[in-house]
Amino acid sequence: MKTAINIIQALLLILGAPLVRGIVARCKAFLQRRQGASIFRPYSDLAKLFRKEDLLPPTASIVFRFVPFLLFGTTICVAAFVPLVQPSALLASRGDFFLFVYLLAMGRFFLSLGGFDGGSAFGGMGASREALISSLAEAPFLLSFVALAILASHADIAGIVSWTQQQNIFNISAVHMLAFTSLAMVVIAETGRMPVDNPTTHLELTMIHEGMVLEYSGPRLALIEWASAVKLHSMLALLVALFFPWGMASSLSVGGIFLALPLYGAKVSVLMVLLAVIESGMAKLRMYLVPDFLGVASAVSALAVIFTMLDKR
Amino acid sequence: MPLGSIDFAFCFLLATLGIFAPFVLMASQAKKIRVFAIALIVASNIIGCFVAALCFWRQSVVFVDVSRFTPFPFTLGIDRLSALFLLLICTVAVPVTIFSASYVDDHYGQRRQNWIWAFLSLFLVSMILVVTASTGFAFLIGWELMTLLSAGLVLLEGDSPEHRHNVFLYLLMMHAGAAAVIGSFLLFLPYSHTLDFASIRATSGVVPAGIRMLVFSLAFLGFGTKAGLIPLHIWLPRAHPIAPSPVSALMSGVMLKTAVYGFVRFVFDFLSGGPWWSGYVVLLVAAVTGLLGILYALAENDLKRLLAYSSVENVGIIFLGLGTSMIFLAHSAPVWAGLALAGALLHAFNHAMFKSLLFLGSGAISKATQTVDLEELGGLQSRMPVTGATMLVACCSIAGLPLFNGFVSEWVIFRSLLAGAVLIGTKAQVILPLMVGILALIGGLAAACFVKVFGVAFLGRPRSEAAEQAQEVPLAMRAGMSLLAAACIVIGVFPGLFLRPLVSLLQVFVPGAGVPPETLSIAHIIPITAAIVLGVTIAVAFVKRRERVVRTWACGQPGLTSRMQYTATVFSKPIRFVFSSVYRPNRKIDRLPSDQAYFPVSVTYRSVRTTSYEKAIYRPIAEIVLSAANQLRRMQTGNIQVYLLYIFLTLVLLLAFLRFQQ
Amino acid sequence: MGLVAFATGKILSSFSVFLFLTILLLVVSRRFSTSVMLFSVQSAIIAAEAFATGFRERLAAAYVVAALIVLIKVIAIPCAFFGLANHLKTSSDMKASTTPTQSVFIAAAMIYLSYAAVQSYGLSVHVPDDALAAPVALILTGAFLMVSRNKALMQMLGLLVLENGIFLAALTTTFGMPLIIEIGVFFDILIGLLLMGIFAFRIRDTFDHLDVSKLRRLRG
Repeated sequence: MKTAINIIQALLLILGAPLVRGIVARCKAFLQRRQGASIFRPYSDLAKLFRKEDLLPPTASIVFRFVPFLLFGTTICVAAFVPLVQPSALLASRGDFFLFVYLLAMGRFFLSLGGFDGGSAFGGMGASREALISSLAEAPFLLSFVALAILASHADIAGIVSWTQQQNIFNISAVHMLAFTSLAMVVIAETGRMPVDNPTTHLELTMIHEGMVLEYSGPRLALIEWASAVKLHSMLALLVALFFPWGMASSLSVGGIFLALPLYGAKVSVLMVLLAVIESGMAKLRMYLVPDFLGVASAVSALAVIFTMLDKR
Repeated sequence: MPLGSIDFAFCFLLATLGIFAPFVLMASQAKKIRVFAIALIVASNIIGCFVAALCFWRQSVVFVDVSRFTPFPFTLGIDRLSALFLLLICTVAVPVTIFSASYVDDHYGQRRQNWIWAFLSLFLVSMILVVTASTGFAFLIGWELMTLLSAGLVLLEGDSPEHRHNVFLYLLMMHAGAAAVIGSFLLFLPYSHTLDFASIRATSGVVPAGIRMLVFSLAFLGFGTKAGLIPLHIWLPRAHPIAPSPVSALMSGVMLKTAVYGFVRFVFDFLSGGPWWSGYVVLLVAAVTGLLGILYALAENDLKRLLAYSSVENVGIIFLGLGTSMIFLAHSAPVWAGLALAGALLHAFNHAMFKSLLFLGSGAISKATQTVDLEELGGLQSRMPVTGATMLVACCSIAGLPLFNGFVSEWVIFRSLLAGAVLIGTKAQVILPLMVGILALIGGLAAACFVKVFGVAFLGRPRSEAAEQAQEVPLAMRAGMSLLAAACIVIGVFPGLFLRPLVSLLQVFVPGAGVPPETLSIAHIIPITAAIVLGVTIAVAFVKRRERVVRTWACGQPGLTSRMQYTATVFSKPIRFVFSSVYRPNRKIDRLPSDQAYFPVSVTYRSVRTTSYEKAIYRPIAEIVLSAANQLRRMQTGNIQVYLLYIFLTLVLLLAFLRFQQ
Repeated sequence: MGLVAFATGKILSSFSVFLFLTILLLVVSRRFSTSVMLFSVQSAIIAAEAFATGFRERLAAAYVVAALIVLIKVIAIPCAFFGLANHLKTSSDMKASTTPTQSVFIAAAMIYLSYAAVQSYGLSVHVPDDALAAPVALILTGAFLMVSRNKALMQMLGLLVLENGIFLAALTTTFGMPLIIEIGVFFDILIGLLLMGIFAFRIRDTFDHLDVSKLRRLRG
């Protein structure tokens, strides 16, 4: 029964990902006083891409051909780590957050290689910038997890979630505030959102993630776009689960789960609106200011770790 | 002493590698006999693997005593630690030998081949001697032989003045390190009366704290020089790139690990942990080594120098695990000390696998294109598919990606660093979790570095004529590389096979070690993750779709050339810019002719890294030594009467000494 | 009344967390208007804390103090700053002598230092550790802002943050100073700001800018 719910959780994350993207885009359009596309538009985009022909550049080797499949596979796996409606997940185990972070790193590694294989300059440019951002974003990512793990005395995501659920919501702990700030900054950097990267840009010289996928088309591009949406959804779900898990069904009751689902929807909607506000309100950072952004995230997460020693609230 | 069958197998290994194979390979030119000798080397290494595996898993003990034939005690014995490293040596030696069977014969002239093979198998013997030695003399003989033989192998590659200068520096630093190791052995002598490992272990309890501190410092210096810790690493990027590729693989993959073996033997076995501050010192040096190593690697475009610096970084990670273990031991937390030590040793093993594979790959590249400069390569994946696939496995492993072996050992080290939070009330409670951030940064930079290596060398368009004409390498070379790649994948996907025995068997050194089984529950998850990833990947790959090859859009230009691609230098530019305080680049732009600023005939750009350990540390030491030698030279007057005066004075002093003795 | 009691209890136990967050955001902010908003938020938190203390200890003086803080530090002074910045027409972007990353690490070190400094003190004064560490951190932050920012306006703000810290320290250890002293302190601040504002105009008129790093040209 538990496994079935875990599988359904993962499927919800995967299938609901384009909807998350659509809602964020709609909120941004609303803030920019446009009408915006329907929130289900990403689904029709994916369907359109799957129907199209796959065009490959002449320099494409087997790496180029397999990168989208591998990226999709690793991101599907990542979705299986995040608790959604109950404090457990399909691939939960002790120390699983290291595997979570490094599976995402694996996806980025192969995507950078795919950027090289296109043979154009923009792929290499995107890969080079992505290398800078991802190498600096891993430290705050892991340090935030470490701070939470020390606080909760559990080394797995599901354990941290169930510990937080038992705490009083009004006992605001400095560790949690600092870890949330740092992890939110990392989420923005990892998923390539403003102010680190503009996901809707058409100018190649400003592209980071889009630059690496410039040469992909058809079904391969559909898989890459879907994987990127799943990544965004998983990381938002992770933020909700780690910091606001109240409402999750702690016991295996059907009623509890049916109540937890709309609560999750409400919580993740708040985060989506927040993301849209941040994206619309801030200008894209110049690339050499992104290390400063990530440096602040690292310092804040290091402070969170130090605070676990000072007050264990 | 009666020899059991396992002892006999071990002696067979030594005899084949040490006596029989070199003799045959030097003496005979007949193809069949040479192939037979090489096959015998491979077979004896496989037997060595079995011997090591038996000693490691089943606790058999090997003991070979030839002290009757030698003027000093010479005993070889294999306990569990030695067995692990023996397994490492033999497992890497098999693919490297298979690779060399084709590489050496194609690359060098007839006479040189003989010498290279002889030295190669003797080099293997010397490394086996070091890890299986049971007396100080055997250890030191093996240690010196390793240095001399590897220097000889490097000189066999080339004889230019630059080569000889680098070899000279290598020998100098190795001997300085060996002097420190000999010193630390000799410090035990007054207490244990022999240099037998068993007696040192037994009497180490009576050694006073001051001497223990000195022993630890000398051992750290000596083994750190050999392992390549910063700032004692300057010989590594000079010696490893100029050796023949299979030899570089052995030097980087295996020889550095013998230094790790020596350090573990001294600190964990003889000293049972070292002074309380030793763990922090090791941790700090290791963090600096790891970070600076990978930063220097990112700035390199010569593939072999890049791999040499990356070895420095991985040695830093290994010592990070060792330092963590020492800190846990000092605070009496043997459970986590055992886990950290297991992580460090497993990383040593994994690094031997993927670093050797990377060097063998660079050998394949240099055979196919006659160059290892990344700026001249490109597009090799479609021309050399097997080499490319194995190099991809190696790059993924060294980047620490899951489903490959690098991730497993890094996970263990991460988990033990996280556990530092249980040491409530000590500095380590906060320092160890913060080290997770440093290790994450090192891992992220390593991934970026190897995206550069694989992307620039194997993907895109070829950047030179030589890269365009590249062809796949012969079968033996491919077989050697594939064996190592398979090992990397097996350890990565099924980590439980290696983790559990390793952790439980460390109880010999760390009594009380042995984590509860749920801590290693991730070992169950990784195969499932691999199955999911592979399953989804293959399922999606086989969905029917139409494909067509179309020219890349070049923004309206006639066509994309290889010069329009991103190069290796510019790929690392953002990271080099962010860390410019580490590199301190000195940039020069020359325009010719200098009076026409806007219509130059040529523009030259040079960017040179100027942080120099030579200028800051080594030159002052060298000057002190040389000036002291100059002072002493005054005694050498060349006048025979002065020398007779010296003898006369010594006699007078002796008489006075005898007089005052009474 | 039960709700108010609950709210004040929560405020008293967690206000220091929010103060630390404002400290971190202050040291990385690059625009003058952001810094002034953060100062105003900080003063609002201190006012809430004063109000909660007044509720807990039943001191009427504390309520008056809280009202004064809201009037002066949350509303009047930030408005004065915005007016000053508008009149002086200086650029809104501030150059700092440390990068944001370095500033945050320094701020983290300062917070750790303030905790280490009040470690043994807290037990003797019957006050939780973070209630004492927050004022010390504010003082250090005010000093750091004065040292690292180049514009004269930011130095005024740094002084005000420092004063916030001193005030908070007095509040938490003595549960409110006597009212007369509070009013005297506020009056001093007002006069001081008036004088600083006049000087800012004079400096700008003489030198055409407010960059204090250019003061070095005056040396002989």
